[in-house]
Amino acid sequence: MIERPPNQPPPAGEGVSLFGDAPEIDLSRGRVDLTLVRLRMAWRTLRDGWAVFVESRIGVLSLAIIAVFALMAFSHPILMATVWEPDVYDPVTGYAFDRFDHPAPPNWRHPLGTDSLGRDILSQLLFSAKSEFILGITAALVTVGIATTVGAVAAYYGGLVDSLLMRLADLIIALPGISLLIVLSALFNLNLFYLALIIGVLGGFGGTAIILKSQALSIRVKPYIEAARAAGGSHFHVIFVHIIPNLLPLSLLYMMFTVTGAIFAEAVLSFLGLLDIRMSWGIMIHTANVGGYLLSGANYWWLVIPAGASITLLCSAFYLVGRALDEVVNPRLRRHDG
Amino acid sequence: MTSYLARRAGQMVLTLFLIVTLTFFLVQAQPGDYATFYSLNPDIPAEAREQIKASFGLDKPLWQQYLVHMKNTFTGNFGVSFGHYPRPVMEVLAERLPRTVVLFLSATAVSFYVGFFLGKAIAWRRGGVLEYAATISGATLFTAFTPAFALMMIWIFAFKLGWLPVGKFLDPLIWRGAEVSANHVFSYMLATAAVFIAFAFLTLLAARKLGRLGTGRMPFLVIAGGAAVIPIVWAFTGVGYLALDILRHMILPIATLTLISFAGTMLLTRNSMLETMREDYVMAARAKGLPEKVVRDRHAARNALLPVITSLVYSLIFAIDGSVIIEGVFSWPGTGMTLLEAVRSEDLPLVMGSMVFIGLFSLLAHVIVDVLYVYLDPRIRYQ
Amino acid sequence: MPMTTADTEPVLKVVDLSLSYLTRQGPLQAVQSVSFELGRGQSLGLVGESGCGKTSIANCLMRLLPDNGRLTSGQILLDGQDLVPLSEEEMRHFRWGQMAMVFQAAMNALDPVYRVGQQVVEAIEAHGVEVTTAGARERVARLFRMVGLDPQLMERYPHEFSGGMRQRAVIAMALACDPSVIIADEPTTALDVIVQDRLLRELKGVQRELSMSMIYISHDIGVVAEVTDRIGVMYAGRLVELGDTADVFGAPMHPYTAALMSSFPSISGEKHELETLPGEPPNLANPPAGCPFHPRCAYATEECREEFPAQVQRGSRWTACWHPLTDMAGVGQ
Ligand SMILES: Nc1ncnc2c1ncn2[C@@H]1O[C@H](COP(=O)(O)OP(=O)(O)O)[C@@H](O)[C@H]1O
Ligand code: SF4
Ligand SMILES: [Mg+2]
Repeated sequence: MIERPPNQPPPAGEGVSLFGDAPEIDLSRGRVDLTLVRLRMAWRTLRDGWAVFVESRIGVLSLAIIAVFALMAFSHPILMATVWEPDVYDPVTGYAFDRFDHPAPPNWRHPLGTDSLGRDILSQLLFSAKSEFILGITAALVTVGIATTVGAVAAYYGGLVDSLLMRLADLIIALPGISLLIVLSALFNLNLFYLALIIGVLGGFGGTAIILKSQALSIRVKPYIEAARAAGGSHFHVIFVHIIPNLLPLSLLYMMFTVTGAIFAEAVLSFLGLLDIRMSWGIMIHTANVGGYLLSGANYWWLVIPAGASITLLCSAFYLVGRALDEVVNPRLRRHDG
Repeated sequence: MTSYLARRAGQMVLTLFLIVTLTFFLVQAQPGDYATFYSLNPDIPAEAREQIKASFGLDKPLWQQYLVHMKNTFTGNFGVSFGHYPRPVMEVLAERLPRTVVLFLSATAVSFYVGFFLGKAIAWRRGGVLEYAATISGATLFTAFTPAFALMMIWIFAFKLGWLPVGKFLDPLIWRGAEVSANHVFSYMLATAAVFIAFAFLTLLAARKLGRLGTGRMPFLVIAGGAAVIPIVWAFTGVGYLALDILRHMILPIATLTLISFAGTMLLTRNSMLETMREDYVMAARAKGLPEKVVRDRHAARNALLPVITSLVYSLIFAIDGSVIIEGVFSWPGTGMTLLEAVRSEDLPLVMGSMVFIGLFSLLAHVIVDVLYVYLDPRIRYQ
Repeated sequence: MPMTTADTEPVLKVVDLSLSYLTRQGPLQAVQSVSFELGRGQSLGLVGESGCGKTSIANCLMRLLPDNGRLTSGQILLDGQDLVPLSEEEMRHFRWGQMAMVFQAAMNALDPVYRVGQQVVEAIEAHGVEVTTAGARERVARLFRMVGLDPQLMERYPHEFSGGMRQRAVIAMALACDPSVIIADEPTTALDVIVQDRLLRELKGVQRELSMSMIYISHDIGVVAEVTDRIGVMYAGRLVELGDTADVFGAPMHPYTAALMSSFPSISGEKHELETLPGEPPNLANPPAGCPFHPRCAYATEECREEFPAQVQRGSRWTACWHPLTDMAGVGQ
């Protein structure tokens, strides 16, 4: 029973268009002009979206957590180049000669202790943060690249192309991803890059494509698409210049979920010892598990807690940022309208 | 409605076909081929090798191999396991499937119920402490690193408190000298569960038919009475203590799987509830002077359930992955652990067999969700 | 034509009702100092452009404001009992039992997953109007017949109903517990003109027959004139004119009423010039000072821009305007 006040502008972030609904296109004006208008509108939408986003305390907190992990990732090479001698602190090949009691508990030289092979835990933790970002972001970019294209193409052409792509997506979402990756690890040597690629491809052709397609369908019927077609724009032009940019905000949301999935999958597979990766949080726990330290309780907490907490924290943070973004692009979830 | 179900069934068959094709080409694409895998395995005697080759059509051209693969898969012939040689893959999987089904079904049922209940509660009272607590802990559990979380559960409940066994299916000390096999006892346990569920279902159905007479505590008391009979019956069989042992081993894996998967349903329900709460029929229900609980449960939550059921597929698939991990950590000898063992020991036929089984499992989940949806939404039921 | 009810105590009396919505831009004053009375068996129309606060008043009378709605002042006296201080649980018994509602979007007022009859039965059972299920169903069948629906349709689901049928079902639902007041919020707006017309007449008939009191809300002044005894005109959250329907129609006192009337073809058949009202209603989050209508009013003066007009009383009617249009006709004393 709630009507939108007729005399007010639509609330911030209404709809999901990053660039706003493109203004009536004046064909006599040059492209540059249009780009400027679009940039201005994009900026406005972003600013308004941000205003909604910061209302979600959980979202802001999660963003802060991600920022902390990013700082950690950046600090590793700096520390290695300055205060940490590579012989001791290399996350994979280092050995702490200063102790004999590996795994050593936290001490001044090794704030989080060492693992059973005498390697510095903090260094491993920071090094792995970088890998996780690379993995997560690569997978997310691949997903978004494929999903926006698949979604836009399916919505634009419809018909057989649409059905084929959507059946494929149905097939992929019907498969349990972790189990599939476990099977793949039995057949191929999976390293970080292949893993990111596979996760990205599965995500891109899977669920994300379905959601972006339905969004693309609603964009396809907008007047400016008609106008672009009338002005002689090619299919390629319409898809890549007019439809896909409008899908980006929503795909940003699904990028967050892809990152969560990728980090999680990597950790699980590493923990099970199925990946061809030198160091990661999952491997840290794997190492502890293989050494039999996991069930010795809190005695060797530094072997598990930092890595386990990092996985959980970073996964949750990306996930919760995604949920907060959901409230930005999907006004129906918000507490107030108007 | 029938056309809807028929269409969905058609899609399922197609999907199954694609999964089987996919497994075939994955095996083809991997470095080395199936034949060498078999021939490299020292456990397999030379004469058996030829026979295996023939049954897989490994000496024929690729397209024929594909056809043989199709036929084999659909007739349940996945070949012979390396690791469990000479048992056929099918036999190994058939033994282990029920254990996974039990783990999976109980955890899913409990987590769905808890998730739905909490989700509707936090949507109804937005902004409360409960919302923050449930959202944060739910999302944390949902994204928690499953193996580490499972190990933590083991550490707390098995090591520190010593309440429950550490893992595995049974305690060999208790079973020493037992006359019956674990599978035997387990299948009787399954039968008991099935009978009990049917009993509870029929009781509730009867209560509904009786109308107002059947409301209130009555049906639940009857069900509780039925539950009380079970231990008595088992006590007379003489193997009750063995069943109890299996039961004790089940608690921790089921609890862990429940904890990691309830949040998905909870957060979905919350969002869905927030949308239905704005619907006019919810306001109408309140305007009609219905009690708050009736408005929430019978109108808002009942409608919010529909999208949750649609996404139940995703929750189920999440739980399938979760149960693979949990079986691994708890050494629970189900399909998931079989897959992990097979991967580790490069038992390729068993890997592919488990994969097909897990794929089938998720397809079945799809079918069940579809049927459930049709049942719950009159707009599809009466088309 | 209007019934005189001055001798009996009004069934519903609204005194100085104000409510606002909390929004991101600050509080939005949706209804301000609205007072009116509804006599027994009488029907009162509320008209005004979309967004002027009609639905807000209706929801507020039922105490069904959305989460961000705040009742800032006022009394709602139903049979002398003030509803404002009641708890949610106490209020529950007044809802539907005493005061029922026909919703604006009848399309969506029926729950899609239950049979239509069941949704009426539910209300009857909640208020103990009938004690047995069979009795309740019998009652629903009677109500269905009364609003022109085949009782067999009770067993159908809402999606199997046409728009008109749903609206009838919603009316039957409103009548289920013999309420003393019915609030109909744009009950026919979504329907096509012919269905709308028939339904209006039936609604009027039922109201007369059961001698219920009714508040009829519409943005269409022509429709309101057809079914009500008295009429209240709203602008920007304020009631600006109130009087017997015939009087108001005969000679509007408020310039906004006059403008509203001229924007619709007259019901008496004579064709007015369709002069549309220039401008837009004000932003309620930041209303103009003085008379809220002044930016659009042809008669606005300095006074109008500074102070909200005092009420000008003329017998049973009044208006809030500094320069009422009394000279247009001999306003009924
Ligand atoms: N839940 C709400 N939150 C904020 N503003 C609202 C809400 N509901 C209504 N409004 C605003 O209050 C004013 C009155 O609305 P409403 O009562 O629905 O008017 P009407 O029924 O006359 O069209 C409008 O400006 C509308 O935008
Ligand atoms: S008070 Fe003034 S501005 Fe308002 S309606 Fe009357 S004449 Fe017009
Ligand atoms: Mg309205």
